[in-house]
Amino acid sequence: MPATPVRMVEGRPERRAGVFCVLIVAAAGCGRKIADPPLTAEPEAPTAAAAEESARQQATAPAFEPPPLDVLDRDAKWIDRPVKDAVAVLREQQAKEQPLCSVADALALRNDSAEANAKILSALGRLPEPGQADLDARIDRHVAGDLGSTNPILISSSAEFDILGLTGFGLFSYDRTLEPFASADTVTSWQTSADGLFDKVVMRDDLVWSDGTPITAHDIAFTYKVIMDARVPVPAVRSGTDQMRGVHAYDDRTVVFFHKEPLATNVWNINFPVLPKHVYEGTWEKDPTLKDSPEHVALEEKPVSGGPYEIVSRKRGQEIVLRRRDTWSTVNGKKVREEPFLRDIRFRIIEDPNTALLALKSGEIDEMILQPEQWMTQTTDAEFYRLNTKANAPEWVSFHFAWNIATPFFADRRVRRAMSYAFDHDRMLEKICLGMYEPCAGNYPPDSWMSGPKKLTPYKQDLDKAEALLDEAGWTDHDNDGIRDKEIGGRLVPFEFTVLVNQQPFRIAICTLLKENLEQIGIVANVRPVEVTTLQDMLQKKNFQACISGWGSGTDPDSSENLWKTGEMRNYVGYSNPEVDRLFAEGRRELDRSRRAEKYARIQELLYDDQPYTWLFWRNSFYGFSKSLRGYVFSPRGPYHYSPGSGSLWKPRQE
Amino acid sequence: MATYLLRRLILGSLTLVAITVIVYGLARNMPGNPLTAQMGEDPSRKITAADYARMQRAYGLDKSWPEGYLQWAQNLLRGDLGRSITRKQPVTTLIGERIGPTLLVSGTAFLVIWLVAVPLGLYASARSGRADERAVSLVLYALYSFPTFVAALFLQIVFAVWLRGTAWELPLFGMSDLPPDASWGARVLDVGRHLILPVTCQTYVSLAYDSRFIRANMEEAVRQDYVRTARAKGAGPWRVLFHHAFRNTLIPLVTLLGLSLPSLIGGSIIIEQIFTWPGMGRLFFESIRERDYPTIMGLTLMFSVLTLLGQLLADLLYCLVDPRVSVA
Repeated sequence: MPATPVRMVEGRPERRAGVFCVLIVAAAGCGRKIADPPLTAEPEAPTAAAAEESARQQATAPAFEPPPLDVLDRDAKWIDRPVKDAVAVLREQQAKEQPLCSVADALALRNDSAEANAKILSALGRLPEPGQADLDARIDRHVAGDLGSTNPILISSSAEFDILGLTGFGLFSYDRTLEPFASADTVTSWQTSADGLFDKVVMRDDLVWSDGTPITAHDIAFTYKVIMDARVPVPAVRSGTDQMRGVHAYDDRTVVFFHKEPLATNVWNINFPVLPKHVYEGTWEKDPTLKDSPEHVALEEKPVSGGPYEIVSRKRGQEIVLRRRDTWSTVNGKKVREEPFLRDIRFRIIEDPNTALLALKSGEIDEMILQPEQWMTQTTDAEFYRLNTKANAPEWVSFHFAWNIATPFFADRRVRRAMSYAFDHDRMLEKICLGMYEPCAGNYPPDSWMSGPKKLTPYKQDLDKAEALLDEAGWTDHDNDGIRDKEIGGRLVPFEFTVLVNQQPFRIAICTLLKENLEQIGIVANVRPVEVTTLQDMLQKKNFQACISGWGSGTDPDSSENLWKTGEMRNYVGYSNPEVDRLFAEGRRELDRSRRAEKYARIQELLYDDQPYTWLFWRNSFYGFSKSLRGYVFSPRGPYHYSPGSGSLWKPRQE
Repeated sequence: MATYLLRRLILGSLTLVAITVIVYGLARNMPGNPLTAQMGEDPSRKITAADYARMQRAYGLDKSWPEGYLQWAQNLLRGDLGRSITRKQPVTTLIGERIGPTLLVSGTAFLVIWLVAVPLGLYASARSGRADERAVSLVLYALYSFPTFVAALFLQIVFAVWLRGTAWELPLFGMSDLPPDASWGARVLDVGRHLILPVTCQTYVSLAYDSRFIRANMEEAVRQDYVRTARAKGAGPWRVLFHHAFRNTLIPLVTLLGLSLPSLIGGSIIIEQIFTWPGMGRLFFESIRERDYPTIMGLTLMFSVLTLLGQLLADLLYCLVDPRVSVA
């Protein structure tokens, strides 16, 4: 339900999450590589299963009757919520910061220390002074896969989110600290009722789709209706909208979101992509797949855009070219909002990371995510620095060993703690992660608001402690064969288990270190690399003993509920703690930020004590950038996936 | 001839059924299903058990695999290959988009291979054992054992990075750089330049193999009595080589040709990945990882049909190259 995604990290080529200042579809899995399947298998089929579902829903849910606006205004006590111009906010922030060095110095630097990294980000990440930016510039961005769909509500892969972030229309976004706000580009005012049950948005009256039709509140209400229709195979965005009672447009500009419950997470649920009503009104019910009819096929190729850019050409499997649309900034001959700095954005599809790096080195692309080994070894020479530089920043993506509590080995918390005490965390950080990652001790990033004031530190290797805990839990070497064992069900079970890992040398190295550490205390860990989908399947069926894996954090702490709540489908380790379950439920209902933070901090402490995971490290985002590129600023979700994100990128005017 | 063809077609259809049953059965029994990856990706999209069951129903995953197969076969008879679960497009569209680029690389490579391999093989057998033949053999063996992905990267670095800005520069990746509205001639040239590196990579290994294959067969043929007879009656060395020996090596060659037909369409995962070439190999690979059953089956069907056709074609060609072979 909560909006922004937690995401499992299974070592595919890196995701490309990019979002422009206007639209950040919080409800969707912005980092996801695999396109979600439509809910229907074939064009005719949706109807059978889904219509039945739709009928069932309609039968159980009472029809939603929105009250008249004057009644709502009379009864609700409206509280103003922030409406911001993301670029202006960033400009104000930067005005208070002195760059750590000049642009020329930053461009001459080699990024081989934290200090150099800070200088590069500080000098090259700044917004342009008036007249400094080349407003005709084009950026060639790297993307690792093609689009499955350009329809805003059908998207699910990271490439699709990248494009939608630039071409889509939206009311809400969040800043680089992941705080939500309404975008001043599209919204005049945003208010929430004191009881938390309604959100009222008054839209600007100077918005048009790329075909010239005005964008109105009716588009928002229409989109909600389509998303919630069971016949439409919406993959990613329904999990937030289904928490609402309804969305109603009172006039062209006023739209009200009605919530089922006053939840802290409602702020994410109202953020969904928007369809042009006038385009789909006559077609969607005839073809609810939104993909098959000739009209929908044509729209896939040339969608009507509501964001600052529109798709001008597409070569399947090769590239997607976007162009800034004049009707975004100029309506009826009047300039109504700032235009983005870049005129063209060309997404070049390169699947192979080595080829992508060669493309960056030869100047064919202006930026790319670097693999950690590329950062360490392939981007340190003059050939790389001839045209490029690089930067990194912490990202909210963490890795862990997961211990399946349902197995006899890890049911006892003392054993799980012993695992954490046995593992040489420092050695992993130094020798395997090469000092590039920050240690991770818990569920929430240490500098985030939900992490609480108490800083957790990872369990440091202490073999005596580990052995004492194992002895206490009854795992001793009864038969003197050098391996610990325990009598379970009348049978002596040796402590020998398998740790699953996907076929990535880096992760296998971490598992091998665990294996060596455990050998020292009489435990046999077999490292078993498996294909990624097979690994997923084994985790989902809880058919494993231990594994190494990763999650990307969502923007809201509630998004990790389904990793920890009893019986949730992604609670692969089978963790169950009634207090944690209760705290998640309370956290969602607590509207006061600091009281809410206390609950998540407490959850984190409980998890820390129980160690269902041995948390390993937070992974940074690593990027290579052309020296001609400026304005990249990192959030915990990388340089694009927030506001302004890619909207702050620019290239200097050639003298 | 007609009965022979009919018999072969019936046999072929039965083989086709067997292949698709086995592949479908295997695919459905691999761990995981199309929903697996989705589950692992985005836990904030809470999927309830009921939701999961509903999606399984929608994809027909709630049915046993034999039932699923029958459904697939039924749709196939209606001319419907189904829709890709992860890519949201009809499988026929997906294949249609990819087949052109794949054929462009593999067809060009195929031509180059045979245009070079046949003369090279003949040359090698004519000069057998001499220094120049040894040198060529050595080079061919070296090429045969040189991994494609290393060669590709090497070629990319040399031609797309080091030689950038010179007349020798070649494109690093992709199929074309020009906008769709460029002139026809310019686009052909552009695609041609993009083809050079992938085709080179796809060519050199087979070139080594096929020329050695021809040479080996020729070695066999030149030891035959009829060749000695031809020499004895005073035929020149090239006439002996072409007219007497080479013609008799055509049968194994035609078999090899027939069998390489499916690989023409199959594409190459490695080359397509490295050069970002929008072909079939990559699609097949991805669809297996994603457990995208309709795509896996669509591609399997196509590859199987082509393999069977290739064999049939080879058998028919035997009659052409060797009149002693009869279809009766």
